[in-house]
Amino acid sequence: MNLEVDEGEFVVIMGPSGAGKSTLCVSLNGLVPHFFRGKMEGEVRVRGRSTREARVGELAREVGMVFQDFEAQLFSTNVALEVAFGPENFAVDREEIARRVADALEQVHLEGYEDRQPATLSGGEKQRLAIASVLAIAPRILCLDEPTTDLDPVGKMGIFQIARALREREDVTLVVVEHETEETLEADRIVVLSGGRVVADRPAREVLRDVDLLHRARVMPLQVARFFKERGVPREELPLTPEEGAREFRRRGWRVSQDGYGELLATDRSRVARYGEPVVEVEGLCHRYPGGVAALEDVDLTVRRGEFLVVAGQNGSGKTTLVKHFNGLLEPTSGSVRVNGGETRRQGMLELGQKVGYVFQNPDHQIFSDTVFDEVAFGPRVRGMKEGEVRERVEEALAAVGLEGREKEDPFGMTKGERQRVAVASVLSIRPEVLILDEPTTGLDYAEQRSMMDLVKKLNEDGATIIIVTHSMWVTAEYGHRVVVMKEGRVALSGPVREVFAREEMLRSFALRPPHIVSMSNLLGHTVLSVEEMHRVTEAG
Amino acid sequence: MREIFTMWRHTQMVVLTALSAAIYAATLIPTQFLPIIPGFTNVRPANVFPFVFGLLFGPAGAWGAAIGNLINDFFGTLGPGSIGGFIGNFFLGYIPYKIWSSFFRRGEDIEPNVATRKKLLVFGAIVVLASIVCADWIAWFNDALGLVPFAALGSIIAVNNALAGLILGPIFMVLLYPRVKRWGLLWTEIMPADEVSAPRLPRLGNVLLWIGGVGGFVVGLAIGLGVYDQGFAAAGFASGGAQGIGIGAGLVPFLILIVVGSLLLGGREQVEAAGEEGGELGPVRPSRVR
Amino acid sequence: MDPFLYLDRGTIVHRLDPRTKMILLLGAFVLAFVFPSPAYGVVVLALVLLAGWLARALSNLRRIWFVLLMIAIVTTVLWSIFGSGRTPLFWFVKEEALLYGLGVACKLDTMIIAGMIFLSTTRNEEIANGLVRVGVPYRFAFAVSTAIRLVPTILATGATISQAQRSRGLDLDSGSILQRVRKRLPLLVPVFVSTIRSTNVFSMALESKGFGAGERRTYFMQFSMGRRDAFALAVLALVLAAAFALRIMGHGGIEGFSR
Repeated sequence: MNLEVDEGEFVVIMGPSGAGKSTLCVSLNGLVPHFFRGKMEGEVRVRGRSTREARVGELAREVGMVFQDFEAQLFSTNVALEVAFGPENFAVDREEIARRVADALEQVHLEGYEDRQPATLSGGEKQRLAIASVLAIAPRILCLDEPTTDLDPVGKMGIFQIARALREREDVTLVVVEHETEETLEADRIVVLSGGRVVADRPAREVLRDVDLLHRARVMPLQVARFFKERGVPREELPLTPEEGAREFRRRGWRVSQDGYGELLATDRSRVARYGEPVVEVEGLCHRYPGGVAALEDVDLTVRRGEFLVVAGQNGSGKTTLVKHFNGLLEPTSGSVRVNGGETRRQGMLELGQKVGYVFQNPDHQIFSDTVFDEVAFGPRVRGMKEGEVRERVEEALAAVGLEGREKEDPFGMTKGERQRVAVASVLSIRPEVLILDEPTTGLDYAEQRSMMDLVKKLNEDGATIIIVTHSMWVTAEYGHRVVVMKEGRVALSGPVREVFAREEMLRSFALRPPHIVSMSNLLGHTVLSVEEMHRVTEAG
Repeated sequence: MREIFTMWRHTQMVVLTALSAAIYAATLIPTQFLPIIPGFTNVRPANVFPFVFGLLFGPAGAWGAAIGNLINDFFGTLGPGSIGGFIGNFFLGYIPYKIWSSFFRRGEDIEPNVATRKKLLVFGAIVVLASIVCADWIAWFNDALGLVPFAALGSIIAVNNALAGLILGPIFMVLLYPRVKRWGLLWTEIMPADEVSAPRLPRLGNVLLWIGGVGGFVVGLAIGLGVYDQGFAAAGFASGGAQGIGIGAGLVPFLILIVVGSLLLGGREQVEAAGEEGGELGPVRPSRVR
Repeated sequence: MDPFLYLDRGTIVHRLDPRTKMILLLGAFVLAFVFPSPAYGVVVLALVLLAGWLARALSNLRRIWFVLLMIAIVTTVLWSIFGSGRTPLFWFVKEEALLYGLGVACKLDTMIIAGMIFLSTTRNEEIANGLVRVGVPYRFAFAVSTAIRLVPTILATGATISQAQRSRGLDLDSGSILQRVRKRLPLLVPVFVSTIRSTNVFSMALESKGFGAGERRTYFMQFSMGRRDAFALAVLALVLAAAFALRIMGHGGIEGFSR
């Protein structure tokens, strides 16, 4: 791999899982070769100094590294100490440390948080704290490895604002690994990696226009660019943002066909007509946690059989608390939650678990067996089924998630995407009618996300009722039928995805932004939910 | 003995100590425990961890068990007994990795797992021995201070630890060894051989540990249950001031045997055996911080 | 969920240097040991409770009263059985042994309450920093303070794991003791795995921030001993001196007790 980065540049690194992006990052501050095993050939020079000869501790002064897993990076008992840790290690004197702590916290918009315990911060705040703790060392180069995964839209925007401010203020060199194509417009250059090699290294807008390249690299192309490219517009002319897209659309004299749009609406309606009876009914639900914190206030919701519901909202809005009532993990403080007509209070978790399967966000919080088979067999076995039946169910579940034939493998040897599938299979083996998935796409690259969501869609088409909790707006748009937006424990918005996404102003007040293609279509007066739909309604003038 | 000090040079060992301690402390909190004597002790499944930590993480596991137990005391029962708990739990994690290879002959596979029947039996034996030694230290300390009679506390601790270790230990080792190895976190792969003490007389050390541990336990019970009562009363311990000299002094020779025994054991041979495995992971070890 | 006892109350005790607080804690332990007799033991207990009142820490008693009670009961019973003396009370139990048991119960409860007061008035980072100030090597104190910091996180992870496994049908409350211990497996293994898995990232993050970069290290948090500390230590010294004096003069013992 050959790469050069000039002082003050903002370089984004993209690529599929396993391409070597994280390894590239840790090569910048000497963790490769000093921390990792293996052989390193060639050389990495940071400001003229070879990483082979310097130790990680020395290089840390020059290259600040923020890792993806923000939980694993925070270890102090309060925020100020966390930020002071870096300078302390370099024997910076006390007053200077105090100054740097205040400065760093201000840059990440965490002023006033000095005495808070890191464990009490939200995901976005934790990630900003991790950045602050590295800023306090005042490195000239900052490397961020997927800083926005796991963050809600507000959190994501926050990180990029900080990156922007850093460049303007400090002239810091930024190297950022990122999946979120929509945010990378700001970068100077994008470097695309695949299989450990650099497959493209060009100015950002150029790379973003190369839709085929991004597809091959399993990175989600910008929807607007993809749409225009698929209609034959030459690469140099491809618009990238919704505004650019709408302008170009009109300039070319294209129109949204009323008939085409009407068909979309008709498809929506016929889908709704096929729904069955209500399977989950929530009335006046209130939930208060033991400390007295009110997590849910007066929630009403009905989920019909065959629906695909998305529950959205910021962290702390109550979305996870809400769905945990559906399988009996939580009981209402007041109000009622009925599943299949019966109050959840009266059914035990074993009984409810039979009807409502819940797949948790982190598969590593579930997996404990040393073979895929045993893991998926856990549910049936705990319910006392005979081995023959257990085997049948396991095979069925594994086939459904595309992992047939891998029964004997150790789940921990598999990739994260595969482990997530194992987690889904281990819930499917109980054959529930309703499936709840908490953030099913976190930590997966674009191809893996599509793969997972297509799996979920197929389960829905085969009759399962799906409820997902997610931050991902494009997933909501392309797969969801209906969306419920939670805010501060209440239902703020509810309705078919198409209707909710038409109200961009309102969504923005909940710190949500529709995907680019949806925004573009809104600018053109209609609401389209995916690139495919956009094609279907476009008429060349 | 040496590795319990040199390990601190390695970031990963420091981190493993902290994580082990935190896991132990957190899982000891009785979310759902099964009481034997309420307020004093209960079957605590988390007690399986020190054996596993010790075998997989070596000295980091020993320190982790000790610190973890101490932190658990921070949730309500901090007292001088915590010192006894610290030492006892240290040994709970220390003995497994120290004594492990002395059960095997030269040339046998000594990877810290339970892959063969012999290893499974050795594991069981180690669990029993370490549980008794832990009980010896904690019960001795508390009795010498006149807080809790040896016979009561000692038996409870020994049984508690042994049960958790025997019931959950083997399956934990089966599930956790391959993963810890895959992540490169076995202590034998992090620490270099020259920082670990070499075995001096491992078989003798092994035997001494058994004599010291079991012997101390038996003698402690005997004294506590009054077998020597007549003799001591006659010797004039009539005033209320002289407390626990019986157990206090009586157990010291056995505790000394335990320490001496462990000094004779090594650990370096395990590191060297791991080094020979090498393989595609290569010989480069993570950096040593000064 | 916060398992820690710290209460942010800003009392005079809170404001003492952590090293002073550690010395006071040790002093309380020593004081508890001076008198075997429960009559005197109760006085010591009262003194400690007074300190607790000053520190506004007594509300934490709510959290540990059950442990205190059980310890008191069990200790008394155990020593009544295992101890012996001159004056028979009932069955084989001797009066001196019962008194001794009560005395030990006082001691234990006093010490635990002292520990509770210490923890209620001392932040975790003060404990870690205090350890370094009294000479504990930095990396050891770091391991201790990091472990402390991680406990609530692991508890939260454990709670999530418990929910996930219960959602799959794990029922923790049924079965024999053996079965119930076995059922902890789907809980404990993921806790271990998901925590230990983070070791490498954690280690890398530490080294990336200069952990171990140099021999010397500065500390952001600072305390100094002041007049308050001198006063507190003086009071401790006086109380201990008085206690020792009383004991030497023969008070507070239990005649006729033997083990």
